[in-house]
Amino acid sequence: MEAVIEYKCPNCGSGMVFDAAAGTLSCPGCGRQDNIEQMMDPLKSQTFTEQDVKEYHCTSCGAVIVTEPETSATSCSFCGSAVVLSDRLSGQFAPVMVIPFTIAKEAAMKAFKKWCRNGLLTPRGFMSADRVTGITGIYVPFWLYDLHNDIEVQAQGTKVRIYTQGDYRITETQHYSIYRKIQVDYVRLPLDASEKMNDALMDKLEPFPYDQLKAFKTPYLAGYLAEKYSYDDEQLFPRAKEKTSAYVDAFISSTVSGYTNVSYIDKQVDTTMKRADYVLLPVWMVRYNFNRAEYTFAMNGQTGKVVGKPPISKAKVAAWFAGISAVSFVALKIVSWTMGGGFL
Amino acid sequence: MRRPFTLLAALLMFVVCAAALAIPGHSEAAEAGSETKNLIYDKANLLTQQEWDELNALANRYGAKRETDIIILTSTNAENQDVQLKTENFYDDQAPGYDKPHGNAVILTMDMRNREVYLAGFGKAETALDDSRLDKIRSKMTPDLTRAEYAKAFERYITLSYTYMGYKPGVNPDNILFALWFQLGAALIIGGIIVTVMVYRSGGRVTVSGATYENRGTSGVLEHADQYIRTTVTKTKIPKNNGSGSRGGGGGTTGGGSSHSGSRGSF
Ligand SMILES: [Zn+2]
Ligand SMILES: [Zn+2]
Repeated sequence: MEAVIEYKCPNCGSGMVFDAAAGTLSCPGCGRQDNIEQMMDPLKSQTFTEQDVKEYHCTSCGAVIVTEPETSATSCSFCGSAVVLSDRLSGQFAPVMVIPFTIAKEAAMKAFKKWCRNGLLTPRGFMSADRVTGITGIYVPFWLYDLHNDIEVQAQGTKVRIYTQGDYRITETQHYSIYRKIQVDYVRLPLDASEKMNDALMDKLEPFPYDQLKAFKTPYLAGYLAEKYSYDDEQLFPRAKEKTSAYVDAFISSTVSGYTNVSYIDKQVDTTMKRADYVLLPVWMVRYNFNRAEYTFAMNGQTGKVVGKPPISKAKVAAWFAGISAVSFVALKIVSWTMGGGFL
Repeated sequence: MRRPFTLLAALLMFVVCAAALAIPGHSEAAEAGSETKNLIYDKANLLTQQEWDELNALANRYGAKRETDIIILTSTNAENQDVQLKTENFYDDQAPGYDKPHGNAVILTMDMRNREVYLAGFGKAETALDDSRLDKIRSKMTPDLTRAEYAKAFERYITLSYTYMGYKPGVNPDNILFALWFQLGAALIIGGIIVTVMVYRSGGRVTVSGATYENRGTSGVLEHADQYIRTTVTKTKIPKNNGSGSRGGGGGTTGGGSSHSGSRGSF
């Protein structure tokens, strides 16, 4: 049984790819467009054998498809046909849902150039965005967690009142013992499950529009790269808890109000995983060479949000610093002048 | 292309502003034409001739800018006259004033016999240098008087009288917002903070929070208690702010009917 799926156009035999703008599987040869949601996924009709696949061969040209172990969709390096490696998308690696790309390659490139032009602190040479060495659309594996938190908090709070009585300033401090029992549920908290991807970069790509989530079908991957997860939901669970701990703290302090000062004595947070869905989310990775250094940027394939550390121009930082300081100085002068200070 | 130039222009503007404001009044040298008045009556011989020349020139120059005579009167007080009365009599008899006789003047009187000092503001200076401002000037010059550094103390008096008259009556001239070093420092701190945030945010920022993923329907407080335990009270005595050495005397009216502000103390 062949573990490679390709999408041959029934009309002309060309290799079909996913068209991000139209949201269809389309043929570059004759223009045929197929609605993916109504398609039978070839993956589902396969009777897949439970044994390790040693080698993948392109069904178009027969060449060996060279991939990294986590790649689940790619293109044949000889003939360019879009291929999906079905054994890496089935069984425990079968994604439940996918957010398909809506920003195609050209649009992504345009959006990235626009982002570079708007860089307030980046060097002028960088803003032209003419050194892009690669732009790759990747379906990145994510776990979407539903987490249930049972929280118990003990704290001490004070309310302080200060007033004067005769020649004395009186500070009156009321002490309270505070107890809260809280329940917080987080739904569809995303965590990237790929070892290769930078966690901080992926976190900044949020939010992903969940209304665009579709039932997973392999044609969405045609023409793009895709990866399978490196960490399963149990392995990533500690990171999920860590990610929500700031959210939990913010929630707790929102329930303790009206105090001058609160100090926590005990915080018990019991987090349980209600559900974890394996999904693929669309990310454009852009590599950029500037001054002999390589910079990596990521773009949300749905919203177009760009993240990644660009080079910083010292001259521009200095100019902004001087400009903002000058404006603040003049503003302070005007304030002091309206208050009755001389302009000197 | 255009953006760095506008920013450099802003940098230039900042330097020019700061320089122009750091050197106050350098362009107003036009006063040199008017004749020099004798404003220092050093009957107790506290100053050398050179000190006298310099201080008298300073008093003339700064006084012209505020249209007020800045006068110093020192006395061994052989007749043992009260220092406030001495000041009032001097004003009635000598009829000083920048604009007219019995006009705008601020007078510093030194009674070397009783080691007392009195400051009085007449005319425009009665409001522009009210009791509290004269108290401030007196308390700032008293340490130098105690050390017998009279020239230094008098210079302080002349420059402070000039500076304080530049503020609207009623406001505190020592408000930190009016201080140039504070304005410069605060402007640089604001610039530093904003640019740091800009650099920090250049790599994209997190735009989600707990609320993005929170299920509002099932999240909330199940049980809560806010139990009052006790109250603690601390009492601190409010310090009385009387000036260093002695209390200020306040203003009054001269025998000739001129009202004035005033501040009195010893050194
Ligand atoms: Zn076709
Ligand atoms: Zn091939």
